[in-house]
Amino acid sequence: MILRRRAGRSATLAAALASTLVLAACGSTADTPADTAAGAGGVKTDKGVTDTTITLGIMGDTSGVFKNLGAAINAGNQLWADDVNAAGGICDRTIQLEVVDHGYKADTAKTLYPQLEPKILGIVQLLGSPVLAALKQNLIDDNVTAAPASWSSEILNNPNIMMIGTTYDLEVINGLAYLQQEGLLADGATIGHIYIDGEYGGNGLKGSKYYADKHGMTVKEAKITSTDTDLTNIVTGLRGDGVTAIVLTTTPGQTASALAANQALGLNVPVLGNNPTFDPALLQSPAAGALGNLYVAASSPPFSSQTPKAAAVAKAYKEAYPGAPLNAGTNVGYVEGLVWQNVLTKACENGDMTRAGIQTALTSLTAVDTEDLVGELDYSSPGAPPTRGVYIAKVDPAAEGGVTEVATVFTAPEAESYKAPFQEG
Amino acid sequence: MDLATFVQLFVNGLGKGAVYALLALGFVIIFKATEVVNFAHGSLVLVGGYVVYALKDTLGWPAAALVGIVSAALAGLILERGLLANARSADHNSLALLTIGVDVIITEEIVRRVGADIPFIGDPYDSQPIQLAGVTIFRTQAIALVVGAVLITAFFLAFRFSNWGVAMRAQAENKEAAALMGIRSSRVTATAWLVAGALAGVAVLFMATQDFSGAGLGRGTHAIALIAFPAAILGGLDSTAGAIVGGLIVGVTEALTSANVDFLPFLGPEFSKSAVFLVMLVVLVIRPSGLFGTKELSRV
Repeated sequence: MILRRRAGRSATLAAALASTLVLAACGSTADTPADTAAGAGGVKTDKGVTDTTITLGIMGDTSGVFKNLGAAINAGNQLWADDVNAAGGICDRTIQLEVVDHGYKADTAKTLYPQLEPKILGIVQLLGSPVLAALKQNLIDDNVTAAPASWSSEILNNPNIMMIGTTYDLEVINGLAYLQQEGLLADGATIGHIYIDGEYGGNGLKGSKYYADKHGMTVKEAKITSTDTDLTNIVTGLRGDGVTAIVLTTTPGQTASALAANQALGLNVPVLGNNPTFDPALLQSPAAGALGNLYVAASSPPFSSQTPKAAAVAKAYKEAYPGAPLNAGTNVGYVEGLVWQNVLTKACENGDMTRAGIQTALTSLTAVDTEDLVGELDYSSPGAPPTRGVYIAKVDPAAEGGVTEVATVFTAPEAESYKAPFQEG
Repeated sequence: MDLATFVQLFVNGLGKGAVYALLALGFVIIFKATEVVNFAHGSLVLVGGYVVYALKDTLGWPAAALVGIVSAALAGLILERGLLANARSADHNSLALLTIGVDVIITEEIVRRVGADIPFIGDPYDSQPIQLAGVTIFRTQAIALVVGAVLITAFFLAFRFSNWGVAMRAQAENKEAAALMGIRSSRVTATAWLVAGALAGVAVLFMATQDFSGAGLGRGTHAIALIAFPAAILGGLDSTAGAIVGGLIVGVTEALTSANVDFLPFLGPEFSKSAVFLVMLVVLVIRPSGLFGTKELSRV
């Protein structure tokens, strides 16, 4: 008995030592000059790049709450990689994608990351605010550049975040400007803003407060949690407050509840939602008939957009993935790839495709053109969103992806003057 | 808060309260018969809902709903016969803990089966509001109120006049004396679980709707079932009338506090969850056995 216990103890000790060694090994690999080598074409490389391939990671969600959106984003990433490889690759190397599925669970992502990290140069898609928060320090420590599928301007203090498109605060500012321009909102009005407690909701609220301040409007705030589902009473309260528009920084389910109440209570005001508030699956829910008042502001065009590049991506998606759900994720995934393409090309020109070289290349880009899949991107000002423009889409059951574009990418004057939380100057 | 808002919130709350009352009544019936607090009530709700979801496309909604109610009732019965009846001599608190374990197992399995579907199961009445004198009445809640009133009345009549009702009241009053009078405790207890399960099966038909919860069947449904706990406790855990009043109080409190209130800025959506428990605490401080609960008397 004693012997066995001792054996157990020494096994534990051995395991502990082994894991310490592994951890030490992991820690010492990042940014070590000894790892860098001059590869084909005299380009300096360290991780994830060989003479023939560039490997990028995807940390997506194809099994959790965002599985429909996540699958479409992954597909968009893949369509981009296929296009690049068909055209001969970048820097004489083909793009390979290493995909992991964290199911929107931060703890799962935390265990998957160390397996993925040694194989990749950077991350073409990192889905989910909680996952991003959990991996924030890892990205910094390993100098891994990541494009998040999450759009809060509160994360722009992390230099390893390569924001694709604009942020939630600017989505709201532009969206409210659109409603006002369409005569659906007037100076001095009272608007309601229902938002999820946390980074996502807080960032959206910054937008409505800024816009309201500029136009003498009053914002009636209603803070909820991500697990709340019934917003009927909150909308009843907003009706009593005399709101003429409602802003939502919520989950799709909450959006449905707010819109169902908006209609049932006879309020029928226009509702503006941040890009994650809508999911085409809502058109199959009992609230389907009430969604008509919803306007969605997003950096990328909706699936049904006639923007030439978006239409081409949609066509390629339907051919490559017949029967797969149609949503805005495809464009999001494709444009993430396009921005990476610009960064990789620049890094190749600089002769440095190390992780540090990627950072240098990124911050030197001032006008990334994505063929209007998002507005023109400028990565030269740390802390500032790289673009400020949005598309506006309106719910339309007849349109593929459930929404139809009502305004092509634009930037309102209020969005130009807005100062993001970590913006310098 | 203007009058129209107040009336609308009150109506919203009343409809929800009817469902909370059905759930709370389930807790109370079991507690009265066995003195066990059934923490697995939420999972009985899910069993009923899951069966409806699984069958409504093939059997049609009415038949699926019926099978769902029967399944929830049977699940209650199986739980009692299979687990609790075998541990009759165990302490009531241990049995309550046992129900927590059962609850976790059933809930996780059903959540896994439902997956990311989160199905709505109120097909015939969901999202069809009725406008009445400037007030919006959600059809789901209106039907819940009527069904709740009918079932609760039927229950009270049965409780008062049927042999089972008399036997159960006798057992609740004094278990030993009831047994000596020839009342079969096992039958009374089993029936109590059966009835509580059926009530849970009825309640879920209203819970997993756009009108009531804004969410389909899933973890959220289970969470709502637990809101019925404060309803049962503030009404008095052993009082059937208290369960009804408690349910309505919880529904209305939740509705009135979840809207923004200008003159009390600390109130609002964030406060509504604590408000229900705050009301429960206030009631318990003034009346430790709940509004209608029996006072615990012990001779010293």
